[in-house]
Amino acid sequence: MKHFFTAVSLFLMVCMLLIASPARAAQPIVLGCPLSTAFLYGWGAERGFTLAVEQINAAGGVAVASEKRPLKMEVIDTRDLEPGVPVSEALLAVEKLILDKKADFILGGPVRSEAALAAMSLLSKYKKVSILTSGVLTPKYHETVAEQYDKFKYCFRIHGEAKNLVGEIFANFAELKQKYGFNNLFIMAQDVSHARGAAELVKKLATDKGWNVTGLEVYPTGATDFSMGLLKAKNTKTDIINIWMDMPESSILLKQWFDMKVPALPFGSTLAAAEQPGFWKATEGKGEFTLCNVVNAGNAPSNATPWTMKFYDAYAKRWGVEPEGLGSASSYMAVYVLKDAIERAGSLDPDKVVAELEKTDLMGVYGRLRFDPKSHQVIPAADPKEGAVGSILQWQAGKRVVVYPKSIAMGEIKLPPWMHK
Amino acid sequence: MEILIYGTINSVALALYALGFALVYGISRLPNFAHGALYVLSGFITWSALNTLKLNYLFSIVLAMVVTALIGAVIYRLFLIRVRGMEISEIIASYAIGLAILEGLRWGGFKGMTYTLPPFIEGSASIAGIAVDYQRLAVIGIGAALVAVLWLFTHHTRIGLALRGMAQDERAALMLGIDSDIMAVVAMGLGSMLAACAAILLLPLGNIVVESGYNVLILAIAVCIVGGLGSWFGAVLAAFLIGFAQILTVVYLGAHFQMVVALLAIILTLILKPSGLFGQQKELEERV
Repeated sequence: MKHFFTAVSLFLMVCMLLIASPARAAQPIVLGCPLSTAFLYGWGAERGFTLAVEQINAAGGVAVASEKRPLKMEVIDTRDLEPGVPVSEALLAVEKLILDKKADFILGGPVRSEAALAAMSLLSKYKKVSILTSGVLTPKYHETVAEQYDKFKYCFRIHGEAKNLVGEIFANFAELKQKYGFNNLFIMAQDVSHARGAAELVKKLATDKGWNVTGLEVYPTGATDFSMGLLKAKNTKTDIINIWMDMPESSILLKQWFDMKVPALPFGSTLAAAEQPGFWKATEGKGEFTLCNVVNAGNAPSNATPWTMKFYDAYAKRWGVEPEGLGSASSYMAVYVLKDAIERAGSLDPDKVVAELEKTDLMGVYGRLRFDPKSHQVIPAADPKEGAVGSILQWQAGKRVVVYPKSIAMGEIKLPPWMHK
Repeated sequence: MEILIYGTINSVALALYALGFALVYGISRLPNFAHGALYVLSGFITWSALNTLKLNYLFSIVLAMVVTALIGAVIYRLFLIRVRGMEISEIIASYAIGLAILEGLRWGGFKGMTYTLPPFIEGSASIAGIAVDYQRLAVIGIGAALVAVLWLFTHHTRIGLALRGMAQDERAALMLGIDSDIMAVVAMGLGSMLAACAAILLLPLGNIVVESGYNVLILAIAVCIVGGLGSWFGAVLAAFLIGFAQILTVVYLGAHFQMVVALLAIILTLILKPSGLFGQQKELEERV
């Protein structure tokens, strides 16, 4: 009898321990992040994700039906922004995140357009909802989703794309033409898909709009000498040098531009080097007057929405550096947008989450966030109340000053002293 | 005029990339595939001495050169000596060491474009109406001086003569009492120091990024193959050929084809004259 009571007591104790056991803690939702972490568009995105995940987990996690589940990030370095690294490396990283790390969703990249396009079939095969947040600018991405919706409906992009960027650039070109009589445009692009495509598009549109395109130079990734291109620009009396480069070596281009006193305004569309706060130090101030597009508000200081500076300050406090460029604000927002969709879907089922993502309407860091239901591209606008706004900044006296769109501008475009008209 | 000026600058830069590689191969027949990694490493050593240790720029430069030379010598003494004479193994081992250095730097947080070295002299000059910054002029001047010093060292010092003796005929040098292992260590140290010299001269023009290690290695190999493996004079001449070809390509065909020039030069050389312009390797076979 004594043994019987002992056995029953032990059984009850084990049951109580099991009930109170942490094993019952909610299973985390795994966010797989394939990012090229040695580059701005990779580490900026990683920091944005981390900040959002920490905030959401601190607030209790994501409500999936009746359960609150925490978020967990799994990051793999795809290295796809490095010269000579094949696309297959990025695909292996995505597949590893899905099969090995058991990612429920893919956020972030691959960051290089070529790799992201190649990964679409993989995402479709495994039915993994993906939100691109950094790097990839090619319009082909959302065009492919629109063309083959049933196959690629799991693919979304929450940041701007090359056609938006081109539109924003031409708005500024028109203003510069009107104000200073600029008419000659020289284009410099990196030899990668989005940059080549965008440069060709700019050339065509510029010619159609009456600009004199004085040249288009395409540089291999990793190029370190731009002197001959700059001399061509100088000799052809170019007014604006339009730059499409995401390689860190592009800061060399701006140093050379300063040293050669080329009388043309450097206007970067993607110009990763100039996006970063460290650009000033890296060029010893020689990059002053450089303009670049950080694609979305929040990647540079502005008051686009009440959330913009809250994010900006939280990011700076968490990482000891301001949001540095493309990928920071959009990655942060992607986690919140996904949380919102999961909570509305009440499930992690990919088809249900896709349906809810299509209904997203959230006032975020860079304006009203909605996806085009056919192409899954975030809807852009010049007014943050209408859609996702971009940001073009200019380096002025060591600071990044947002000059476009006018609805959120903090200053006006200035010319270097050697090209005052 | 701009082709002449910037062609010369580009050529001297290529010669600087290749000198260390050519020296090591010329003396010890060791293809040092860690050359590009040593170039990048010396840049980061200079940066760290300057910014982290807050040392004087000149002292940082000297420190980086000495430390890189020592690292090169240690690499040879600890690793490469074990596979000496086995060329495939030498290539694999040195490339692996280079990878370890570059990936180690990346792992250590040396990424991004914020690592830069200040130019020796700020400002620019106008030569025949073409603006050229003083750092690029310094590259030409110091690069030429470096080649001259190297020539004097190898022709008028005991160590230099011993190195040349070994380069010409290792067995004969051994019979004359020259220790080939010590000379190979010296050669590797000198080659590494030359990689550091190139880095210190050229990196102030841009920034220090890990990825450039691979690019420097490819360019150094291209120059040495065209010039003839083991020939320093050939390397300098090939640097000028490729350097001007690259600039002419940028001017008349487009910057897009700049990197193709070096690779095309390798292919053409291997088809037309595998020993290169002044190489001795395989020359007899070619004549036969």
